Amino acid sequence: MGRDKPSRYWKSWEQGPGASELIQISTNEFPEPLDRPPSQFSRRSFLKAAGFTAAVAATVGCSRAPVEKAIPYLVQPEEIVPGVSYFYASGCGGCSAGCGVLVKTRDGRPIKLEGNPEHPLSHGGLCAAGQASLLSLYDSQRVKEPLIGGKPASWQEADRRITEQLASIRASRGPVRFLSGTITSPTLNAEIQRFLATFPDAGHVTYDALSSSAILDAHQETHGARLLPHYRFDLADVVVSFDADFLGTWISPVEFTHGYRSNRLNESAAPKMSYHAQFESRLSITGAKADQRVRVAPDELPSAVSRLAVSIARLAGIASPVPDSGTGNPPDAILETLAQRLWEARPNSLVVSGSQDRRAQVLVNFINQALGNYGATLEIERPSLQKSGSDRELQALVDELQKGQVAALFILGANPVYDLPNGSAIADGISKTRLVVSFSGQLDETASASRFVCPDHDALESWGDAEPVRGTLTLYQPAIRPLTNTRPVLESLAAWRGQPRSAYDTLREYWRTEVFPKRQSRDGNGAGAAGADFQSFWDASVEAGIAQIKTASTTHPFRGAAVAAPAAAGALSADEFSLVLYPKVALGDGRHAHNPWLQELPDPISKITWDNYASVSPAAATRLGLKEGDVVRLELQSRDREGAGAQTIELPSFIQPGQHDAVVSVALGYGRKGTERFSTVGPKWIFGRSGVNEEGRVGKNAAPLLEFTDGSLQYSGSGIRLTKTGRQYSLASTQSHHTLTIPKNIPLVGGDTREIVHELTVAELVEKVHAAATAPPPPELPKRRFPEVPMNGMWKDDHPYTGHRWAIGVDLTACTGCGACVVACQAENNIPVVGKDEVLRHREMHWIRIDRYYSGEEDVEVVHQPMMCQQCDNAPCETVCPVLATVHSAEGLNQQIYNRCVGTRYCANNCPYKTRRFNWFNYARNDKFQNLALNPDVTVRSRGVMEKCTFCVQRIEAARIESRRHGAAKIADGQVQTACQQSCPAQAIVFGDLNDPNSRIAQMARNPRRFAVLEEFNFRPAVNYLAVVRNRESEITKEAKAHG
Amino acid sequence: MADLALIRHVPLIGGNKTLADVTRDVCRPLETGPTKLWYVSFLAAFSALAIGSVAVAYQIATGVGTWGLNRTVGWAFDITCFVFWVGIGHAGTLISAILFLLRQRWRTSVNRSAEAMTIFAVMCAGIFPIIHTGRPWLAYWLFPYPNFRGPLWVNFRSPLVWDCFAIGTYFTISLVFWYVGLMPDLATVRDRLKSGFRQKLASVMSLGWNGSFRTWHRYESVYLMLAGLATPLVLSVHTIVSWDFATGVIPGWHATIFPPYFVAGAIFSGVAMVLTLLLVARKTMRLEEYITIRHIDVMCKLLLLTSGIVAIAYVTEFFTALYSTNPYEEFAFLNRAFGPMGWTYGIMVSCNVLIPQLLWFKRVRQSPWIIFPITLLVNVGMWFERFVIIVTSLHRDFLPSSWSSYYPTPIEIGMLIGSFGLFFTCFLIFCRILPVIAMAEVKGVLSPAHPSAPDREGTSIPATGSEAALMPSGVRS
Repeated sequence: MGRDKPSRYWKSWEQGPGASELIQISTNEFPEPLDRPPSQFSRRSFLKAAGFTAAVAATVGCSRAPVEKAIPYLVQPEEIVPGVSYFYASGCGGCSAGCGVLVKTRDGRPIKLEGNPEHPLSHGGLCAAGQASLLSLYDSQRVKEPLIGGKPASWQEADRRITEQLASIRASRGPVRFLSGTITSPTLNAEIQRFLATFPDAGHVTYDALSSSAILDAHQETHGARLLPHYRFDLADVVVSFDADFLGTWISPVEFTHGYRSNRLNESAAPKMSYHAQFESRLSITGAKADQRVRVAPDELPSAVSRLAVSIARLAGIASPVPDSGTGNPPDAILETLAQRLWEARPNSLVVSGSQDRRAQVLVNFINQALGNYGATLEIERPSLQKSGSDRELQALVDELQKGQVAALFILGANPVYDLPNGSAIADGISKTRLVVSFSGQLDETASASRFVCPDHDALESWGDAEPVRGTLTLYQPAIRPLTNTRPVLESLAAWRGQPRSAYDTLREYWRTEVFPKRQSRDGNGAGAAGADFQSFWDASVEAGIAQIKTASTTHPFRGAAVAAPAAAGALSADEFSLVLYPKVALGDGRHAHNPWLQELPDPISKITWDNYASVSPAAATRLGLKEGDVVRLELQSRDREGAGAQTIELPSFIQPGQHDAVVSVALGYGRKGTERFSTVGPKWIFGRSGVNEEGRVGKNAAPLLEFTDGSLQYSGSGIRLTKTGRQYSLASTQSHHTLTIPKNIPLVGGDTREIVHELTVAELVEKVHAAATAPPPPELPKRRFPEVPMNGMWKDDHPYTGHRWAIGVDLTACTGCGACVVACQAENNIPVVGKDEVLRHREMHWIRIDRYYSGEEDVEVVHQPMMCQQCDNAPCETVCPVLATVHSAEGLNQQIYNRCVGTRYCANNCPYKTRRFNWFNYARNDKFQNLALNPDVTVRSRGVMEKCTFCVQRIEAARIESRRHGAAKIADGQVQTACQQSCPAQAIVFGDLNDPNSRIAQMARNPRRFAVLEEFNFRPAVNYLAVVRNRESEITKEAKAHG
Repeated sequence: MADLALIRHVPLIGGNKTLADVTRDVCRPLETGPTKLWYVSFLAAFSALAIGSVAVAYQIATGVGTWGLNRTVGWAFDITCFVFWVGIGHAGTLISAILFLLRQRWRTSVNRSAEAMTIFAVMCAGIFPIIHTGRPWLAYWLFPYPNFRGPLWVNFRSPLVWDCFAIGTYFTISLVFWYVGLMPDLATVRDRLKSGFRQKLASVMSLGWNGSFRTWHRYESVYLMLAGLATPLVLSVHTIVSWDFATGVIPGWHATIFPPYFVAGAIFSGVAMVLTLLLVARKTMRLEEYITIRHIDVMCKLLLLTSGIVAIAYVTEFFTALYSTNPYEEFAFLNRAFGPMGWTYGIMVSCNVLIPQLLWFKRVRQSPWIIFPITLLVNVGMWFERFVIIVTSLHRDFLPSSWSSYYPTPIEIGMLIGSFGLFFTCFLIFCRILPVIAMAEVKGVLSPAHPSAPDREGTSIPATGSEAALMPSGVRS
């Protein structure tokens, strides 16, 4: 350009100031630069790029990992010390049971959930789903911002469009419906009511995918109030359950497990035990714990209940409300003795039923009433609010939706398109509705059918409350700032109501006006202790995470007139099976299906991961010629759905001992949208197989086989036809041999049983206790772990444990096998998820597994045995490691040194308990976002190294630092809780110092029930087991009686 | 000394060979181009090696997970192949050292290739302990070398460390023994070549051998001493390998019979492998006159003997287990034979015990076409023996909850093929570049009817050899 700029005159607008580029082009003879060919990528730039790539490859290849700079706090917040964990009391968002949790946060992010030991319901226990709900927070596929028609939008935009539509609906008096799962939050319920009150025609419909609607309806009939009793298993000396899996999945399993366990075995001088009878069609973990378990088909259950009612009425001397329906399965003798036991134990007896047959539930109420259990083991003055769904209202709403009568539908905490039998019809109904808003944090089946998705916070991000049982409140506080652009439902509703207010303010306001005036100290002694002014009450509640309030005393008199005989079930034809749909302990109704920890948690009974399947009994399998993994077609000939043809699904079959021969059972909660992500879970290598089925999902949805009958969702009893398809499907099980008995086909030893688990009857226990009491006491706490086994090894005991000596005790009578410990351990110890293919190759990584053994032929008995590294004193693994990567600590721990391990696997081969786990691959975490949940105290293991249970050594060290800081010489008993112990709802696991004679573990080691696995080999494991005790006569007394 | 009497009457080397004939015959393959058959064999062996290399490279890059192992069965093809190849190696030392000390003069025709086989087999074996580790790049930690990790040493109680010593020693001694035995022959090769790189190499490798009395004297002494040193190794190496299992607590591993049982098995498989190779070599390299039916007959008798020892071990093992009344022990053995992997036990017993019984018949012992498949089957059986010991003991041990199974992946099969590829590639190269028969020694056992003729080819090697030097003077001429 010349210095001298002459004025430029333009000839036309195209050449003028508007088109400087054009001018340039017009003045430039060669529009393309001459020095390079007209391609995008010149030789020079190619060489540059190639050189750069080579240089980068060289530099990157040389360094092991890029250097990342950690940036410290410039101004350190007062309450945060980097590297120190803090616990915040909150509540669990996993289901509607409302257990209390302590959220362990490190550097501002939650890394573990622990049960809140002070919570009056859960008592420190937390189930597998609760433990795993941590991972849902860090789910990268969460809905990160509001969606309108599937497209991301701003909250302003969503609010504007929703309020516009609501205004027009309000003006046109259009019906507004709020559909939700059970909401136990009083604040949220109040807000929903306030929101709905702004519409002339509005209603809140609640339903539960795992419905207990029949119990509520039955109480409506017998007690005049639609309520769910608060079951007090802790007070029940005799428990009779008709198909209620109360230890596994029914209503509030953590609370019930704790209650059941606390009254199960009283080990005083004269041991006493509660009695538990279970009538069930499939094998549940509740049935596995029962003293008497009777296999009963769903259609036999109502008659069993009514026959029990007749017996109880006779004992009570009142007229039986139902005619004696004769005999059948279960045998009369069993029911008679049971009635007798119940009667003797009254009012500390309890009859529960998981049936969705309202009339059967009415009869159960009658039995409990006749036994005087109401007010004792069933509380209806302070009822449970954990299930409040009404299937009738749901059915009405579904009808409305299908007819297109609803103007606006809000969906919270429910996934009706997935979990109801007529999901597609509901999706259709949703499409006919003008305004559909989902609050789902996952783009589930229903949310993707909804026009608006206004994602709610995760439970760990939000303020909230829950009242699982009337008068007992759990307060939720956020443990992390919201990770994504979500908004609490409380705020959304307030905004659409035109009075935007923060969730915190709404919650606080509710607590100030509704909770504070009714406050009660936690032990129930009046208001004094709970804080005089609201601020101190609030602070105390936030700190503890719980509050107790007084409840208005209401009485619900029993109305005997309502009791009637249950309807006889429609007989199934000979070629039909009775279908039982059940939730699994891990996945429940399927809301956690995107959670890999739960998908990989073995089912407590079948030990299968990553799939659902059609279970049949061995006899039925023989009859049908089925082998495990044969794909069968399940065909439901619908009885009452007009026009609907047969519902079919195809599932792999599984042979389940202990199941009724006429029953086929299928788990709900599988085949969820969003499980497609698991096609890539696990290692990627040429022979790696996909973890999903032919539909691209994990398992298949069995909800289409549900039926609405008599106003409630029926999970069992439908007639189903099974046909073989001839295809095969592999089920990934973590256990391939199911008994302690040697297979019959091995000559000489076939049929022998290994003494791995010890079992006792109460009578035998009494004898043992007596023998132990009369025997001279051991002189002192023995140096060895086994006082009563005089085992002389080759070597001198020249390694005395002078300081601590860590050991674990597991009470097998308490253990239900629920798997909470497995997930707790996984969360604590950064255990990777390996995927279905790796489980199929028997390479699951869980450090603690729960061995499940059957005994017996048809009516199998089940024992569960948690098995973790036994930290043997004479550890076979230690001597064989060539590089000293596994060595013994002075405190009895068998330590694994990851960075020294070269991975010969010799230790694992030589481990008699097979508790060692090898990193076959670099088990990369599929969802990188979920790495935020890693525990910084525990090394993430790379491929090629061995790992195993450490007795949570990081917790021991943390406690040691803490005790030293306080000047204590030793770690006090109870100061260290391992992750498995902390989580166990049954408190079956005890960890502690054997050298402290007063510690709980030392007491446990002196228990007459104590045994160790493979004790006779002198490995001297540090894990002590307490034998399984069942409340039944021993074989000897039984025989004596029979002869006498 | 019955054999000595035999030697006097029946020549060990047929065809009325002169000393010069021996030199010419043995050196012929070195001086001519490879045959078509060699090319085909080499291509096959090298392809197998390539397959194995790809498989192992993939495994090292991806993880041991590419094998079919699981939480219960932590070793399978890897350690099976390791023990198998170590076993193969045993025959070489047996033939060259023990038979040397026992004056078994028929060994002269076969000892060179048997020793070469030992070295290649130990090379194959040595690969497995390295690649079987989860982090093979750290496998050197198994050696007690001075390090900067504080006083961190290896665990001297671990049999895997003993393995390192045992295999290391064995390989070293075998290599030295072989090399020392090669020296006179290398000198022959050197003298036959006029110039060129090979001549220079042979010159360096023969360490200035000049055929003088002093050279021979020192050579004989060293050879005798090395033979003495190598002899205990034949017994020790597989004894130590067997301790990998015997010191374990797993039923089926924890057995005191393992050392003799493993040694016998190793010699059994080694002799079978020597026979396999010799049968091929004598046919393809036209060495029938050097490796005669008599050699084969003697080897077959050795095979029959070791098969018998192995059979006794199998019976003893079973008896001990059943007599122990230890339920885990009883189960381990019954499960081996009748459990889900019983078929492997069936292969093992039929190949190692039943089929070798055919060798009782002289006619069988003298028919290469029957012996050849027998030797192959023996090695199949011996491979399965190690598989049975390792896998069937592990797959169902103490706690039934952890019982599992094992299926190899194609990667593992590739690895197995590759180890054979490596072995045969090395062996075929050996056939081309070194004298496969110890010329110097063979010359010592030539028929007395043909005393050393004038050396037409002008070699500097006198008609004597180590064997000859050791022989009573009456036999020499």
